[in-house]
Amino acid sequence: MSKRIEVGAVAYDPKVVTIWEMINDYFRARGIASDYVLFSNYEAQVEALLRGAIDIAWNTNLAYVRVVRRTNGRCKVLAMRDTDVEFTTVLIAGTGAGINKIADLKGKRVAFGSRDSGQAAILPAYFLSTNGIDVQKDISLTRFDLDVGKHGDTGTSEVAVLAAVTKGEADAGAVGDQYWGRALAQGGVDRTKVKAIWTSPPYCHCNFTVLEERYGKDLEAWTEAILEMDYNNPGHRPIMDMEGLKRWVRPQLAGYKPLFEAVEAVGYFNASS
Amino acid sequence: MVDAASLTLGGGLEVLLSRKLDRLSPGELLEVHSDDPSIEHDLRAWARFTANEWKGMRVENGRFVCSIRRGTSQRIITTDPSTWLEAKRETGFAPRGAIVEKGSPEFPFDVLSAGEASNPEARELYERAISSQWNAATDIAWNALPAADPEIEQCVCQLMTFLAENEFAALYVPAKWIPRIHPHFVETIMFLSTQIGDEARHIEVFVKRALANGSGLQFSSASTERSLKTLLDREDFLEASFLLSVLGEGTFLDLLRFIEAHAPDPVTADIARRARLDEARHVQFSLAHMKHAIDSDSSLRQKLAAAARERASSLAEVRTVNPLVEESLIVLAAGGLNPLTLPKAVRAVRGLYDTMHENRIKRLQLIGFSSGESEALSESHTPNFM
Repeated sequence: MSKRIEVGAVAYDPKVVTIWEMINDYFRARGIASDYVLFSNYEAQVEALLRGAIDIAWNTNLAYVRVVRRTNGRCKVLAMRDTDVEFTTVLIAGTGAGINKIADLKGKRVAFGSRDSGQAAILPAYFLSTNGIDVQKDISLTRFDLDVGKHGDTGTSEVAVLAAVTKGEADAGAVGDQYWGRALAQGGVDRTKVKAIWTSPPYCHCNFTVLEERYGKDLEAWTEAILEMDYNNPGHRPIMDMEGLKRWVRPQLAGYKPLFEAVEAVGYFNASS
Repeated sequence: MVDAASLTLGGGLEVLLSRKLDRLSPGELLEVHSDDPSIEHDLRAWARFTANEWKGMRVENGRFVCSIRRGTSQRIITTDPSTWLEAKRETGFAPRGAIVEKGSPEFPFDVLSAGEASNPEARELYERAISSQWNAATDIAWNALPAADPEIEQCVCQLMTFLAENEFAALYVPAKWIPRIHPHFVETIMFLSTQIGDEARHIEVFVKRALANGSGLQFSSASTERSLKTLLDREDFLEASFLLSVLGEGTFLDLLRFIEAHAPDPVTADIARRARLDEARHVQFSLAHMKHAIDSDSSLRQKLAAAARERASSLAEVRTVNPLVEESLIVLAAGGLNPLTLPKAVRAVRGLYDTMHENRIKRLQLIGFSSGESEALSESHTPNFM
């Protein structure tokens, strides 16, 4: 058996341990030694990847962009979830706020999630600007900076955005479509008070990032093994339900373009590191 | 096509769509006609969340028409329902004949064969059991209990104590086995549940009788407890049922009939009679169970006989019933400590033992033992009755 492959993951919730123990078992059954290393935040995980302390980083889109910038593109993506492709941001508004399109946001109170959340802060700011809204001047912005370092994984800031719009404390807000779809399906949205008014162009979310110099046969075998996970196999389903996917897919790198543009446009890395 | 009117997600639309999509094959399109202006954003997010593909929206005659392509993942993973007609550990608590999803956990049931668990008379006996229930508080004429002779009352209470402790065994043994019998054998499980309910009522009524007239609960002997514990310790369902119900409860029928016949008051006679009628049902269930098992595997006869012999040898030191119980039966039959009636009462109790022996032999023969085997097995039965 070849050297153990160490995969970094951010412990945004206790269930992360359960998920990765199951993934370890999944790889063990295929004769691949894979183990996880937990980090409390994505910045620390990216640093560990850059110095070779881990082989693979299970990154958010923002963490991936950081790796690309730090390595001047000398990195590679192994796989992502089906749910990471065509991710969108949904703008929601109070039903009584008189907002039916993006232009109506002018002069309104708008809520964003954590400043390091791609879907609920960085991309919405970028998309508003490309649609003629200057976030600094045209709207009154409230940020819910919760669980910073987790890049929005915990969902707490999106919960806060929806609550603010529902209670009328904000006229509108930005959330990820996964959060919106789940909240709708679970009956967590009072549709008499909140409605969706706009869906963003699609972009990509999490992925398994590796350094180009580290990539080799063992990591390709690891990738092929994870792509074989099957949602219609009862043994695999619990892992996939917990990790929120139905299928692992090969990378679709074009989908990261909006976020690269967004971090440039909003000067994200200049401001935060 | 599905007309969603103004339904919203979280308000019922998700139910409508899920059930429509379930009926489609992967790749098929579902058109949703809606009057909700937010449908585009909501349905798009929901479609991705549920791993179906959003195919866009158009406006047609003032209505919003959304298209969703059914994804490849099954909501529920099932196999052909006909494969679940056997008692398999992974069918768990699903009622027999249900379509069971793959990936259900394995349960620790270990009574899995029809030979061991099914009983052709279970259905009918269950029906009879549920229509024969009675209430130990309100169906007994407790206020008809007369002032008692203290000597006789103490004997009644000794017998009630003994009956109650035996009924605990008769409750615990089926209760121990139910979690081990596969739910496939639901008729057996349901009948045993009525048996547990019966025994609970008997414990209640015997203890109530002991407390009703002054003397209260009496002695529980170590030998009785040792004898009953062997029933609970047995690690084979058929053997445990055989020892408890064919031999033990069968013997109790004669004991209860004797108590009824010699009861000093109508209340004691009534509760002995009611308990006997319930016990007779348990015995009938067990006889049918053993007969069915032995008919399908004749080697079981030897196994059951060995279990009875093994129990007898482990109880070799228990030579007699608790003497206080035997004395109580005699005092009851004598109507007190009357020198004129005691000799006849002693003979009556000896006669009871003979009757118990004869009836055990008949029951053993009924389920397939030869007369010689039956005689020997009955002879070795515990003098503790149960």
